[in-house]
Amino acid sequence: MEPFEIFLQSGVRIATPLLLAALGELLAEKAGLINIGIEGKLLAGAFAAFVVAASTGSLWAGVLAAMLAGLALAVLFGVFCIALRNDQIVTGAALNFLALGGTGMGYQLLYGQTGSAATVAPFAEWNLFSLENIPLVGPALFSQTILTYLAIWIALLFAFLHTRTRLGFHLAAVGEHPRAADAAGIPVNGVRWCAILIEGLLGGLAGASLSLSLSNTFNEGMSNGRGFIALAIVIFGRWNPLGVLGGALFFGAATALQLLLQASNIVWLSANYPYLQMLPYLLTLLVLAAALGTSRSPRAIGQHYHRE
Amino acid sequence: MPKWLTSIFSILFLLPSSTPAKDFKVGLLTPGPVSDKGWNAGAYEGLLAIETRLGAKISHVQVKTPAEHEEHFRSYADEGYSLVFGHGFEFQDAARRVGADFPETVFITTSGNTVTQNVGAMVFELEEATYILGFLAGKMSASGVVGMVGGVEIPSVESTFIAFEAGAKAGNSGIRALRTYTGSWEDTALARDATLAQISQGADFIFHNANEGGPGVFQAVSENRSKNVFAFGSNKDQNAEAPDVILASAVIDLPGAFVQLAERVKSGSYKPGVTRFGLASGVISVALNPNLSGRIPDPLRAEMEDLKGRIVSGKLKVPRGNF
Repeated sequence: MEPFEIFLQSGVRIATPLLLAALGELLAEKAGLINIGIEGKLLAGAFAAFVVAASTGSLWAGVLAAMLAGLALAVLFGVFCIALRNDQIVTGAALNFLALGGTGMGYQLLYGQTGSAATVAPFAEWNLFSLENIPLVGPALFSQTILTYLAIWIALLFAFLHTRTRLGFHLAAVGEHPRAADAAGIPVNGVRWCAILIEGLLGGLAGASLSLSLSNTFNEGMSNGRGFIALAIVIFGRWNPLGVLGGALFFGAATALQLLLQASNIVWLSANYPYLQMLPYLLTLLVLAAALGTSRSPRAIGQHYHRE
Repeated sequence: MPKWLTSIFSILFLLPSSTPAKDFKVGLLTPGPVSDKGWNAGAYEGLLAIETRLGAKISHVQVKTPAEHEEHFRSYADEGYSLVFGHGFEFQDAARRVGADFPETVFITTSGNTVTQNVGAMVFELEEATYILGFLAGKMSASGVVGMVGGVEIPSVESTFIAFEAGAKAGNSGIRALRTYTGSWEDTALARDATLAQISQGADFIFHNANEGGPGVFQAVSENRSKNVFAFGSNKDQNAEAPDVILASAVIDLPGAFVQLAERVKSGSYKPGVTRFGLASGVISVALNPNLSGRIPDPLRAEMEDLKGRIVSGKLKVPRGNF
């Protein structure tokens, strides 16, 4: 493969956990919930996936465990924020800390205080119909692991549901004007519960992609802020599934680009690598600034709903 | 109750009654989790060795911000700890400030140059080992390109890169040396993609000093094993982590260094200063992977031994960063 093909492939790969996490968050925000606890779901998912895959030898068992771990955090969020009507931001932050501390303690209990170099054989790239031989974009689109293909298909499915079905309409109604939705017979909190549970499953899956697809191991704090980038990607994508897909790919490509530039050994670039490290974040900020005024969040985001 | 849990509780509840004042008490602050199999794990193993070999009461806290550095230095000193280690360059300012208030406690930072009446530093000349690894890479690289992957750019890491690059140039004056910082000590996945980018630029020998980025580097190199790409381990002997691709590791015997200094503090013979550990001390070494050592031709091995001799005798000064 040519360096440019490797760069594109790397960009799509890096986008995978961001895309899965951002799609989950998109769903929750559409329903009027803001959950800043995605980072915690990524970590919990990565941890559960690695532990179960390493002990059972089955990657899919690991993926399932990751989704259940994400689901468990989502249930906590739902109980506190939907049933008990707590503050969503505070709850999300608390769940992040719970996941960071919980996975760290669990890892040390299972693998010893100073850690061990345990690894799993991760998901391998799947080459689809020899299409990976297409110049330039072949490896990026047709030589990825199954979790990457899955993430892209989920994005397309969401896009279809979002614009073409009653389901998407109900979701938007609950997030925009819950009282009117309720009057129209849509079970507001039921829809919110569904959204948050699916977000949990997707957040866990995103974590699994981190420890079983993008790498082959777990370590404390390995999510490295991806959950917060996912939050930005939802805004970047203007609360639209295809926008989120584009945003995740954009950020992934920008990250891969800065790695390529650092490795390119162009002297003046290498000497200024802190600017290269900033590149993905800077570009994201620029796009967000350009999108200002042309998009807005769901009106009822962060607000509780209860009948008087 | 496991010991680490006990130590967490003793910090949380500040139990002074459990430890009489005459005990030799040693504390450790690490900038990251001790489960990292690298820099922090080595320090924690050192602390455990101090407990078993010197009968000390030990305690450890993981800290993030400079405010926490100072707070935890202060609470250890306040509880009558004789010796507190701050495991990194970044602990110097807090050690200087708290040291002035607690003259009875000795503060030692790993790397750094801050010295007062009761504050000292230990410096690991890992550069002496990374220079030899660089030389090996320069001599063996078929592509004429070698790579270095770092976590966060701090002077002690950059310095090991300066030495690696100088060693590679000593082995092959026309070598190109690539350098990537991921900006994180924990992001294994990003380190893998950073390494793949270097390999796409032709690098065939890759040294890392990225802590938990290391497994990502090894994974990327393993994927390219058929292209004869090799990796080097750092800080600990990591050869067994990917025995098919790690040619050698630049090793710091952190536990050995920690015990040496703690012994001196316990016996009262410690004089605050910058204690240097290099190849000559045995704390720093190059560990070849027995699994792959057949790949290194005998004459090259002899050259490496010669280099080592010249470094130990002081005839060869290894280039390093200014810090």
